[in-house]
Amino acid sequence: MRHTDRVTSDAPAEPRALDVALGAGGLATADMVLNIGPQHPATHGVLRLKVVLDGERILSAEPVVGYMHRGAEKLFEVRDYRQITVLANRHDWLSAFSSELGVVLGVEQMLGMEVPERAVWLRTLLAEMNRVLSHLMFLGSYPLELGAITPIFYAFREREELQAVMEEASGGRMHYMFNRVGGLKEDVPAGWLGRVAQALAAVRRRLPDLESMLVGNEILLARTRGIGVLDAATVLDYGVSGPIARASGVDLDLRRDDPYLAYGELFAPGGPGRVVTRPEGDCLARLEVLLEQAHVSLDLAGACLDRLHSLPAGPVNQRLPKVLKVPEGELYTATENPLGLNGYYLVSRGEKTPWRLKLRSASFGNVQVLSEVLPGCVVADMVAVLGSMFFVVGDVDK
Amino acid sequence: MVTPEQHERPEPAEDTRGRGGLPGVLKGLATTARTALRPTHTHEYPDVAPDLPPRSRGVIALLEENCTSCMLCARECPDWCIYIDSHKETIPATTEGGRERQRNVLDRFAIDFSLCMYCGICIEVCPFDALHWSPQFEYAEVDILDLLHEKERLGEWMATVPPPPALDEKAAEPAEVAAASRPARGARGPAGGPGGAGSSRPPRTVRPRVVRGEGDGT
Repeated sequence: MRHTDRVTSDAPAEPRALDVALGAGGLATADMVLNIGPQHPATHGVLRLKVVLDGERILSAEPVVGYMHRGAEKLFEVRDYRQITVLANRHDWLSAFSSELGVVLGVEQMLGMEVPERAVWLRTLLAEMNRVLSHLMFLGSYPLELGAITPIFYAFREREELQAVMEEASGGRMHYMFNRVGGLKEDVPAGWLGRVAQALAAVRRRLPDLESMLVGNEILLARTRGIGVLDAATVLDYGVSGPIARASGVDLDLRRDDPYLAYGELFAPGGPGRVVTRPEGDCLARLEVLLEQAHVSLDLAGACLDRLHSLPAGPVNQRLPKVLKVPEGELYTATENPLGLNGYYLVSRGEKTPWRLKLRSASFGNVQVLSEVLPGCVVADMVAVLGSMFFVVGDVDK
Repeated sequence: MVTPEQHERPEPAEDTRGRGGLPGVLKGLATTARTALRPTHTHEYPDVAPDLPPRSRGVIALLEENCTSCMLCARECPDWCIYIDSHKETIPATTEGGRERQRNVLDRFAIDFSLCMYCGICIEVCPFDALHWSPQFEYAEVDILDLLHEKERLGEWMATVPPPPALDEKAAEPAEVAAASRPARGARGPAGGPGGAGSSRPPRTVRPRVVRGEGDGT
């Protein structure tokens, strides 16, 4: 793997055996195996990494996942679709709204159900606000892992602003539980759109504060530039997606490439939507993509607000039967979650519960590529690379 | 695959390192200094109560009189954290030759908040509005077992249930309002007095309840 070597100038290309001679016979020593985690502050969760070290240099890294496995897919099979929404917003707790969305969009498509226009735009607005929330979290926590404690306070101040309006509409701060098959749980409170506009304006106004700590900061640049380079071919091999893939130049965003909700209109030529990519593929590029995507999402949310003001009055949900049964069949629904592609493969046998609901989570792909990115890095860079992969352990372990 | 535009990158860090100046770091410090001069935006929680919206999902309150122990909430709960015990009671006929009635009496209604996932499905499915969200959240316990709350405690929280917020002006009429405004059932408007509140609508006689279904295409 490529890396910039800042510790020693001779970068060993292939692992070399470390033989330390003791006495006449000599004692061969093996490479050191270091366990990072499962309880480790830098893994923000219970990710365990088995790292083989040659001195300071990582020879191989193996992410060991499953410490937080809750059997979500199996639990889905004995829950109806409203109960599945409860579980679906919990695997990636930072993008609960987007994860709920995948389930209900799939069910709606299999039912052939049309969602009221007002609900479509409200969902798009909430999904984009959720994306800003998730990105802000990582924009705050990543510098924290690099040793900069201040940015997270700024990130959380903006998060609070958005969470307040999300809570006012849905009642929840993390697990919104606001999506229902056929639309949303209920309409938004009076004056809410105005408060969202205020919140978005406040976040937009104060985002430069956060940026001033990240963009061009020499310490951050020194820790991230050229570190943990991930090339586009590896991205495709490992199914990496989202901002991490785009930071390696893979120009894929389902909001534009396979539009759902109102994204077809937002990402049309002349619309506010654009896909942020970087060619470098290093830690810095991943952070830059995240930062710029937050701006784009704020623009998208603003466009949704404008549209909601001009839409005619109408319902936000469909009347559902007491027992909702999805017709027999199977369907894969993927959405562009803040962390990448989030897909649900729904197999229904005409029951009120799915026969199988496979979850393809974004973080899983993003974490397994660590075994390709980490070898060649030094231990000091491991946390920088790990943090830049932007994953939620619940989303990895499901 | 790489888009040619959006390729700008900040100046290389190597240049600044040699000069000794750290403009990027100073920029951040300037922000810190500016923020330090501004008033705080945090609230000291125990002294200042948080301003929570009415929809905030803090705790589930029970209005015991409304509960018919139909068990819908307990069955729909995704992790079955509601415990209901009830027995049937026979009410003797009130009139001569009348039929005696059976009534469910709620013996136990408990929610285990150590299991509850705060999804609100129980509140949504309750056909008699016996369960309500309250933004009240100060019920942390030292022992997880103490989070199982019986109907007396759940009932106390009814006092903290706020009225639902008014909906956006573009919202369709909520199903409850649409259903409630159609058949007039007895005296409407408990605080308005006789005929005082709804003077625009003449009092209507009791009629069989119309099955809701029409009029939702607004």
